[in-house]
Amino acid sequence: MINSKLQNFNWKIAGKAGEGVMVVAKLMAKISKRHGMNVFNYLEYPSLIKGGHQTGQVYASFETARCQKRQLDLLVTLGKAGFAEHSSELTADSLIIYNQDAGLLDSITKAKLKSQIIELPFISLAKQATGSIQSANMGVLGVSAYFLGLDPKIAQQVIKDEFKGKAETVIADNLKTFEAAFSAGQKLGQPIRQTEKKPDDQILLTGNEAIGLGALAAGVQFYSAYPMTPATALLHFLAAMQKHYPLVVKHAEDEIGAINHALGASFAGVRAMTGTSGGGFALMVESLALASSAEIPLVILEAQRKGPATGLPTWTEQADLSFVLTAGHGDTHQVVLTPGTVEEHFELTKVAFYLAEKYLLPVIILSDKSILESHQTMKKIEAMHKYQSQSLAQTLPADNSYRRYKITKDGISPRSLPGQPHGFQLTNSYEHDEFGFATETADQTQAQVEKRARKLEALVHEMPQPYLLGPKKAKITLVGWGSTINILTQLIEDQGATKSSAVNAICLPAVWPFPEKVFSRLASFAGKLVMVEGNQSGQAEKLIRQETGLVMADHIRRYDGRPFYAEDLHQWLKEKSK
Amino acid sequence: MPVNPYKSPITPTWCPGCGDFVILRSLQTALADSGFEPAQTAICYGIGCSGNMADFNVSYGFHGLHGRSLANAIGVKLANHHLHVVAVVGDGDGYGEGLNHLIALSRGNHDVTVIVHNNSRYSLTTGQSSPTTTKGIRTKSTPQGVVEQAFNPMASFLAAEATFVARAYTGQPAQLTQMIQAGFRHKGFALIDVIQLCPTFNEQQNHAWFAERIYDLAESGHDASDKLAAMQLAQDKEQVPLGIFYQDSSSRPYHDQLPQLEKKTLIGQRSNLIDLSPALSEFD
Repeated sequence: MINSKLQNFNWKIAGKAGEGVMVVAKLMAKISKRHGMNVFNYLEYPSLIKGGHQTGQVYASFETARCQKRQLDLLVTLGKAGFAEHSSELTADSLIIYNQDAGLLDSITKAKLKSQIIELPFISLAKQATGSIQSANMGVLGVSAYFLGLDPKIAQQVIKDEFKGKAETVIADNLKTFEAAFSAGQKLGQPIRQTEKKPDDQILLTGNEAIGLGALAAGVQFYSAYPMTPATALLHFLAAMQKHYPLVVKHAEDEIGAINHALGASFAGVRAMTGTSGGGFALMVESLALASSAEIPLVILEAQRKGPATGLPTWTEQADLSFVLTAGHGDTHQVVLTPGTVEEHFELTKVAFYLAEKYLLPVIILSDKSILESHQTMKKIEAMHKYQSQSLAQTLPADNSYRRYKITKDGISPRSLPGQPHGFQLTNSYEHDEFGFATETADQTQAQVEKRARKLEALVHEMPQPYLLGPKKAKITLVGWGSTINILTQLIEDQGATKSSAVNAICLPAVWPFPEKVFSRLASFAGKLVMVEGNQSGQAEKLIRQETGLVMADHIRRYDGRPFYAEDLHQWLKEKSK
Repeated sequence: MPVNPYKSPITPTWCPGCGDFVILRSLQTALADSGFEPAQTAICYGIGCSGNMADFNVSYGFHGLHGRSLANAIGVKLANHHLHVVAVVGDGDGYGEGLNHLIALSRGNHDVTVIVHNNSRYSLTTGQSSPTTTKGIRTKSTPQGVVEQAFNPMASFLAAEATFVARAYTGQPAQLTQMIQAGFRHKGFALIDVIQLCPTFNEQQNHAWFAERIYDLAESGHDASDKLAAMQLAQDKEQVPLGIFYQDSSSRPYHDQLPQLEKKTLIGQRSNLIDLSPALSEFD
């Protein structure tokens, strides 16, 4: 039954909120990573605290693992709901482990299943092993580790690391239940995998955590936010970091407060950031125009979820692009970065702080739930990071002739910071003269409008550029941005360098100002252009047409709250080639 | 007499007789007399006739959005708590559009002196009713008379845990300057509601009207440490008491309660070299 040739597995846990599903999934992902595998851990959950149906799924591979996969090798279901919810993800080769404590399975349910099923009472097992049911979810980990042929020593170390700092008894109980379940597994059947061990040189983190690390590496000192899924985890991460860094994290009174606290802090000279989802960003938009007009550096995470309005709060979408691109009344200017992998989330957050401070404008990191709340592996990040402060006034003449909004060739007017003698300035939301005093004259207005516009032209060469995945030439060229980059990567890598490699992909890690030159060059080699994006109205497709004149031959769109699956794209391509 | 260093070369654009002239002069006097260097002073201005004061002061200024300058002030103070941070707003700004931010300042006890120009009108937009307009008053936006009860800033901010609540009047400039200076000295959030005349859009509440209603709290023997007495005074809608309603002398500002700001300001701890090790440990 062991298939030792297979270098990957796809595992899922299903249960109710409050049963520890997410913790188990994260630990499963970590155990896989410590075996030297690439990992993607995708979570689905409803917007409630207890009950409901939620899942965590870990795709682990010694090859590429950039996104979740559909067909399961092992499903652990803590209740009966898992059978109906996930039947389409199971095959004759799948193994199901059912929590017997959720009630006896009737023969009809069993008969309907194509897959092999094993029953194990997780709650009784924990109670027997420890006298308490608290650690029941570690039983899931124990039996899963056994059936996937994972090294129990690695798993035990991961459990110890996770609960470090908790009471000794908590760690001991979790280990006992893990071991009891691992042993129980041995009596129930043969493992379905014998997972190898290779050197582990990666870290495992979510998009939110990668942004948090990128912000710290860039010297962030102020983060203000109002909780909103799926940006909340960044607030939690940075709040916890206050004990290690010269950083103030402010849970603001509302999103308008959040962006304005950050603008105040930035005006005073520290690197500042705010984060929210589409609804909160909508509230921030007037202040976004303030940042643009008054030329205050600011980094904003816009963490998309399924809209419009309250939408599906815990599900994903890429439908805020058009809104973000044109957000702000008047001729406002912002940069929009659209990272895909967690590594890009880390790197582009650093870029965001650099661009915001150098060009004195707001930079938006546009991402979405499917990567912000998913764990992905990436190569280890080095510990030491350096950055240079940008666009600070080097000299402040004693005659107070410093001009905050001096007209310059590239539009950048170096700024003074409060506290500096002779740096008096008025950072102004009104149209202003070079000193910052309000003006309504036609020539000064036009000069300032044009000065701000020049900054966007000047920064184009520093924008993250589009890149190509797969062969240089292909019959079909998929185009994607943001989280969809992960799906395209998986598809291209899975396809490999076989003779059927008829597909390549152009990825856009940044969309505004639009990297027209590189995109057009890549597109000139392209096959039939097919836009893949997570919205109904084809927002990036329209943007590309607007900026390059290129018309897509076709498109694949998804807007049901779920992320793309590489398998679905593969199926689509197969049907098109018929 | 030396020229006040806060005086800008720009001539104010307010209507003749506007109370804003008095507030400007009192603020400049209070800043200079408190020994605050203009370079160490950051003033956040809202939008309205009050906010137009931005052009008439020389210091570090942030002329933000209607209602939002209050939130800017929180960020400025947390980033550099050595700065003297002042917020200059109007009654529409502070008690209308930005009320949630003003409550946040109050509950957080952020060390910001907030001066509210309260003329009971939206004057820059030509005289509509404001949150503090008396019920029944007819304005362009309320031709049938204001239906709402007037907002009571003194009572509201006592309830919102403000540690310094005072009222001044542009007809009493010396006391106004004193109140602003007392606000500067106070460690924490200081709300100074300044009753001001608007001869253009609020002719009824003129000097004569106020002269019949004002009295001095200190002279009347009010104990500013007595919050319940202050609350009672704040319920009096017939008279206009002036002075400090309430001050908590043991007040501890927000920034003083953050361990990371204990030794230095946030900007004073800026480093261009960052060690991610403590942040990275949990991802291995």
